[in-house]
Amino acid sequence: MKDTPTKRLATLAALVLAVGLTAACGPDIAANTPSGPTSEPPQTNPDRLQAPSEASPTGEIVIWDRSGDLYEVFDAVIESFNAKYPGITVHHEAVDIAAKLQNTLITGTDVPDGVFLDDAYVAGYKDHLWDLSDVLAPYLDKITKQKIDVNTVADGIYGVPYDLDPGLLFYNAAALDKAGIDPAAINTYDDLLAAAKKYQDYRPSAKPIHLEQGAWLGQLQLEMYANQLATSMADANGELRLNSPEYLKILTWLDEVAKQGLGTRAEYLTPSDIGALEAGDEVFYPWAIWFDFAPQQQLPITSGQWRAMQLPAWETGGARGGAMGGSSFILPKQGKNSQLAWLFYEFLMFDETGYTAVYGPNKVYPGGLNTSIPAYQPAADPAKPLFKPVEALGNQDLWTTAIEAGKQIPGGTPTPTWWDGAVEYLGNNVQKMLDGAMTPQEVLDQSAKDIQANLVDRQ
Amino acid sequence: MTAIAAPKAASPAGPARRWRRSARRWGWPYLFVAPFVAVFVAFSVYPMVFTFRLSFTKWHGAGLAEWVGWENYGYLLSSPAFWESLRNSAALWLLIVPAQMALALAIALLLNNAALRLRNLYRVAIIVPFVTPLVAVAQIWIVLFDQDYGAVNSVLKVFGIPDIGWLVTSQWAKPTLALLFIWKTTGFIMIILLSGLQSIDPAYYEAAAIDGAGRLRQVTGITLPLLRRTLMFAIVMQTLAVFQMFTEPYVVTKGGPYNSTTTAGLYLYNHINRADLGTGSANSFLLVVIVMGLSLLFVRLLSPKD
Repeated sequence: MKDTPTKRLATLAALVLAVGLTAACGPDIAANTPSGPTSEPPQTNPDRLQAPSEASPTGEIVIWDRSGDLYEVFDAVIESFNAKYPGITVHHEAVDIAAKLQNTLITGTDVPDGVFLDDAYVAGYKDHLWDLSDVLAPYLDKITKQKIDVNTVADGIYGVPYDLDPGLLFYNAAALDKAGIDPAAINTYDDLLAAAKKYQDYRPSAKPIHLEQGAWLGQLQLEMYANQLATSMADANGELRLNSPEYLKILTWLDEVAKQGLGTRAEYLTPSDIGALEAGDEVFYPWAIWFDFAPQQQLPITSGQWRAMQLPAWETGGARGGAMGGSSFILPKQGKNSQLAWLFYEFLMFDETGYTAVYGPNKVYPGGLNTSIPAYQPAADPAKPLFKPVEALGNQDLWTTAIEAGKQIPGGTPTPTWWDGAVEYLGNNVQKMLDGAMTPQEVLDQSAKDIQANLVDRQ
Repeated sequence: MTAIAAPKAASPAGPARRWRRSARRWGWPYLFVAPFVAVFVAFSVYPMVFTFRLSFTKWHGAGLAEWVGWENYGYLLSSPAFWESLRNSAALWLLIVPAQMALALAIALLLNNAALRLRNLYRVAIIVPFVTPLVAVAQIWIVLFDQDYGAVNSVLKVFGIPDIGWLVTSQWAKPTLALLFIWKTTGFIMIILLSGLQSIDPAYYEAAAIDGAGRLRQVTGITLPLLRRTLMFAIVMQTLAVFQMFTEPYVVTKGGPYNSTTTAGLYLYNHINRADLGTGSANSFLLVVIVMGLSLLFVRLLSPKD
């Protein structure tokens, strides 16, 4: 076939046409006009979800949960939900939420009605989600403030608070007993440092305090310490406030632990970590309540020797509670039956039958779900434990310990949309500091500068 | 191709009939390629154009995208993290590709030897890592190379070598990742080279042997020149793979320590993952340009001179 100018022109025209047509299928583009906050009065805001008015609504909902134990737990609750709402069919799916949610929301294809999500990600999906302020209104004064705060962006609440994950100080009671250390005497982080030194004197190979080596979890733990001091990386308006005396205090303490050789540098429950825990070289683990999974499943040698207590305070009389992680349920606006999904989560979280089924003894957790506590305060009654004492913690009444720690958690702020991205800067710089390559002040200066330039300013 | 002119001269039929005949003659090929074109446009052209358009916007997946012109490209080109991700990928390329080509070629030469017994068994054994799911292999790597309890350090300790932080020090994380990549994909490269070796006419070797050429001389004088095109293909393939490497660092090191294993592919993913889709799109186009440039360079350098 001869390549004539006409054919060339036709080919070029076809190409331009194809490109033009395909380009037209992208998102609508506004010319440098960032959208501002809505000026509508809250009562007429169409982004706010309303509860269904029917007494016995009918329909089908698709609920996404991450696979694993929690999926099994929530799956088992559907039966009692259907006893209350027989007309609602729940399609419960185990999904890799981190991998699928963003694409699903962007494309609007097969969007689920409700999704289980880490609190750290809720704000990032805000534009896709129902504002739950109205449906949550009857419960707001009974939900732990920190959980409302982390789900709040501007004037909206974008997640149904699920669990509260108070930080606790896990310790190997048997090992401390042999070293003559009384854990009850550990009231401040200085006390913890002194106890660690004493333990190391008793057992020279020990590096008693866990120093997280993973950048992401290290940053999450740092936020737990910061939450104790009622601060966080960003304030309620999303302004960066990292470079502060509170963060300096925390980093200085962590730096001290590292410099004095009192910390086991390991990633959470990797072989190095487990080995040190089982050997009795690592005996203090300041972490979220969900660390109790380790003595129950991962530490066969020292299982039964571990106990949990409230976190030490940063100064005498200071708060001994701080939240580390946590999850909520989000309801995408593109879901087909969001109102019915709300009923499902309302049942799970705020109905006694529902939350008892979630946290109480079940097939997956015969003693009850003890890796978190409810964020809904009527469910978190110290006098009415939902889960039993934990055998791997020497039959300790973890319920009461965790509830008391939860009460001490100061309020929080919305997790900024860029929190995850900050790991690249703050998370890594903390690791550099623990390796002796940066000072605490350098970490704060450099991280604040980088986060501001690369994340906050580019929002 | 004189087909167009022939009917004009031979047929006295009217213009409509001529047009129908011509349409039939020209229409069939287009009809046959139409399914491919449709799939290609839907799954390649459209995403590419969509992404290119997105690269000039600030968009987080919902609402209106804001047109920002070249800002995303400017940000990336002035970002130390972007260049560090490229440096990391380039370092991994240097650690992986030359060593892998030499290793795969050596194995292919060995397995091409008809006198070797159990050849098929070896071929299968060498390709097994390639077909094993990467995530499973990566988990094994984490256990094997654990600093305190890994099998590798345990073996080294026998020889008096102190524990090495394979995955937790920026000095060792890249070589460990490179080793994983080499172990995983060398079998595939070996298969490609082996097919190249088997296409070489044995008569060349017989003639060379008659002329007194030894085994090494035959490899350098016959095998390598005739394998040049296959080698070029393998190198381009692996260059693409290394610069797009994502799963290995994502699972094994999460890009750490200190971003030392944040490859170009992982850095791009980080933008997408935090819904910075405009910057992610710009990053992917910059990566396309860089990888295309490198590939063309290798094609030019390794093209047979005949």
